[in-house]
Amino acid sequence: MEGVDRIRAAEAPERRFAWGLLGPGLLVLAGTTTLPIFYLLWQSTQNINLALPGMDRFIGAGNYVRLWEDSRFWDALQLTFVYTGCTVVMQLVLGLGMALLILKLPRAQGPLRVMAILPIVLAPVVVGMIWRTLMLTQDYGIVDLLFRKLGLGSHNWLGDPKLAVLSVIGIHTWQWTPFVFLYLLAALSTIPDDMYEAARIDRANAWRRFTRITLPMIRPAIVMVIIIRMTVALSAFAAIYAATGGGPGTATEILNLFAYRVSFAELDLGYGAAAAVVLLVLTLVVSAGLFAMRRGR
Amino acid sequence: MKRGHLKLTGIGKSYGTTNVLRGVDLEIQPGEFFALLGPSGSGKTTTLRIVAGLEVPTVGQVLLDGEDATTLPPGKRDVAMVFQSYALYPHMSVFENIAFPLRNIRTPADQIASLVREAAARVKIDHLLQRRPGELSGGQQQRVALARAIVRKPALFLLDEPLSNLDAKLRAETRVELKRLQRSLGVTAVYVTHDQEEAMSLADRMAVFMNGILVQQGTPEEVFRRPASVDVAAFLGNPPMNLLPARIENGVANIGTASFAVPALASLGSRDVVLGIRPPDIAVAQGGIDATVTMRENLGDDVIVDFAVGDRLVRARSAAMRKLAEGDRVQLHFEEAALHVFDRESGLRVAR
Amino acid sequence: MSRKSLRSWALVAGAFLVLAVWTVPLAWTLLTSFKSDRDVLAYPPVIFFEPTLANYKEVLFGPTNVLGNLVTSVIIAVVTTLLTMIIAVPASYAFARLKVHGKKPLGFYVLATQFVPPIGLIIPYFLILNQARGLDTYWGMVLIYLTFSLPFAIWLMISYFEDIPREMEEAALLDRATRLQAFLRVVLPQARGAIAVTVTFVFLNAWNEFLFAVVIAGAKVKPVTVAMFNYISVEQTRWGQLTAAALIAMIPVIVLGIIAQKDIAKGLSLGAVKGVSRR
Repeated sequence: MEGVDRIRAAEAPERRFAWGLLGPGLLVLAGTTTLPIFYLLWQSTQNINLALPGMDRFIGAGNYVRLWEDSRFWDALQLTFVYTGCTVVMQLVLGLGMALLILKLPRAQGPLRVMAILPIVLAPVVVGMIWRTLMLTQDYGIVDLLFRKLGLGSHNWLGDPKLAVLSVIGIHTWQWTPFVFLYLLAALSTIPDDMYEAARIDRANAWRRFTRITLPMIRPAIVMVIIIRMTVALSAFAAIYAATGGGPGTATEILNLFAYRVSFAELDLGYGAAAAVVLLVLTLVVSAGLFAMRRGR
Repeated sequence: MKRGHLKLTGIGKSYGTTNVLRGVDLEIQPGEFFALLGPSGSGKTTTLRIVAGLEVPTVGQVLLDGEDATTLPPGKRDVAMVFQSYALYPHMSVFENIAFPLRNIRTPADQIASLVREAAARVKIDHLLQRRPGELSGGQQQRVALARAIVRKPALFLLDEPLSNLDAKLRAETRVELKRLQRSLGVTAVYVTHDQEEAMSLADRMAVFMNGILVQQGTPEEVFRRPASVDVAAFLGNPPMNLLPARIENGVANIGTASFAVPALASLGSRDVVLGIRPPDIAVAQGGIDATVTMRENLGDDVIVDFAVGDRLVRARSAAMRKLAEGDRVQLHFEEAALHVFDRESGLRVAR
Repeated sequence: MSRKSLRSWALVAGAFLVLAVWTVPLAWTLLTSFKSDRDVLAYPPVIFFEPTLANYKEVLFGPTNVLGNLVTSVIIAVVTTLLTMIIAVPASYAFARLKVHGKKPLGFYVLATQFVPPIGLIIPYFLILNQARGLDTYWGMVLIYLTFSLPFAIWLMISYFEDIPREMEEAALLDRATRLQAFLRVVLPQARGAIAVTVTFVFLNAWNEFLFAVVIAGAKVKPVTVAMFNYISVEQTRWGQLTAAALIAMIPVIVLGIIAQKDIAKGLSLGAVKGVSRR
């Protein structure tokens, strides 16, 4: 035996061992996470309505046509873009700002790190509930109180469609900005001080130091954090559900929530499946696009 | 056959289309201290790993004590290895680290205890047996790695740059101890290093690797005195050999703008060569080649002096040149017997 | 004031503002949980009041208590974590050490399984479990919880195993250990820290899960995240009880968070906490 064949034969026992350990895991993984997707695709071509049993049948692209003509779907899609865009941008700006701030206050880093962990580990549903009740209730909520004290009046934060959107965006941002903060703080801490000192000696002012040294050095971290936060925002559910349930009406119904309500409140599972497929495709495209950008850089 | 005989025939290794090693033939006798020397990426570590069984060669055969071990897994060969990073098990005590190989072949517990203690005593770490590797210094960790390797009394003892993580002083001390250990155990040692001084001082015989090819084998003396190629010549010696591209014509060597007579090389006719001369073989003498001192480095015992010879630079090392200063004009003599001649195109040694 | 000290005052003020924004809601929740119904509805809201444990008593032992739900949450989270680790650890090790051509695409696949929106899974699972009578059961819950635990645990452990130097295993092989022995006696002990971190995150995610829980839950199997909605009804929101329930539900999570904070911070830099943030 010569060459590659000999190597393959010699490494056979090790390969067997590796596949023995990996095989079952892969099977379970594929079975639980991938097979159901195929079923989802199949479901989206069916008319399945648990409220009207016995009418299940294959309707091909029927659900998708219906989506196309459904203004509620388009509203949900648009809201998804707005929600995702706003929360990610805000988290980034606030998180980065906070990280830069705290870098200058080394003694504050300890307690602030602990404080930042708390919102992240809470269940989003709990966060949604807290904000719905304690913070945003008209008259009794802290936010409302604050606004009145500042002379900006009392508002129906969750009942007014426009304010409701702002509120859910705010809640999501509140919960996840600490993540961005911690993540970018870690990235910023890796920049050696002497880089800044060298820049100072080269007469760079604060803004130039920021744009020419800080930003480029944490660029990979920023891209990664955007990828993570975007995929989370696209499938946000629990906090919105707890705070507004998707309302008032469909004001805060992002695509994820739209698919949920159609499937489990209206029991129109085929239609909901189609909406879910759209969200799935959207998520994959966005993630793939962002990853490609990351690699390209 | 006495234990510890290794023979490699036609060993080569490729990863896909990349070839990293080819045509390696060598034979190591039992009890020899054999060095594999070369710059990084030259294939010496790959060769060692093939002997260990951590890699399978694409072509060629490995014979261990007469048996074909080419495709044998590492656990089935009678070899032990000390890694560059020592690869100690951090979660086990030093005792357990050394005992690990014995436990794996189910040696009875009382035997383990005495064997471990014996190995530890040989490398003088018997007082550290209860510690964890993380608590030890670099030098101590290295001894643990050594003890773990010798506890099994293997036929072949493989070392992958074991001294490179130690500071210079420790390296020099440990070098001597390593040789002594090997001699007292009588085990065959295969030692990989990129440090030519180390190889020269430790090895009974050595093999020089360049770009995946074994270019020369022999005792350190042989390799040093008669390097087989320009690469080998440049690699050994401190400072390295001066290598001067030259044209030999009718017993005269022309190096750039200077030339000098080399009657002993008249037999070469007209040829493009590379002349090699080691720094210690250059002397100041009347009637020699004109040269100007361009730089002088004081090493204490002797000095290193750089000369401009025509448009070329030549480096010498000698105690006698201590009085020279920058700018001095002198005449140099190259000892003819000490001149090495290499073919310009192939870089290989030319017989004279 | 000099420009420098004005600046540092501004920085400190900024830090306090940040601290306030993120601690006030949680502090207020804590306070509210100790308020009597009357104090809760007091207007303007009070900071000083006479604390009472009545809310906690009711939430834990009263007629609408969530004690059973807490137990349910514990069972589901523990079982999910155990199953996940048993499957994920060997699989990740094998992947980290595997020498095959399919490694890169396989790696992409494992990563991709984490990017599937949960709604895309709960819809088919609902129908499947409905037919298999898995709704409102523990096994149904655990099964669907695996869909987010497994990919995450595998991916996290792979990156940890890749960090363990190969030379240690090679040394073990040369020391006559079999591949299995090398795994169990050299590699696993090294991975103890990684396993602890992974267990923490997997447990956290399972505990906090809501979407899957609310669809699969029924009268028999209802995790505490869903049960908390008992305290919000159309007529009146019982804030005292709600916050008490929320706090009790938060306790394991907060404890884990504080214990593991260094690892969470480290895990963030691996992008690992994507999993925590999912739900």
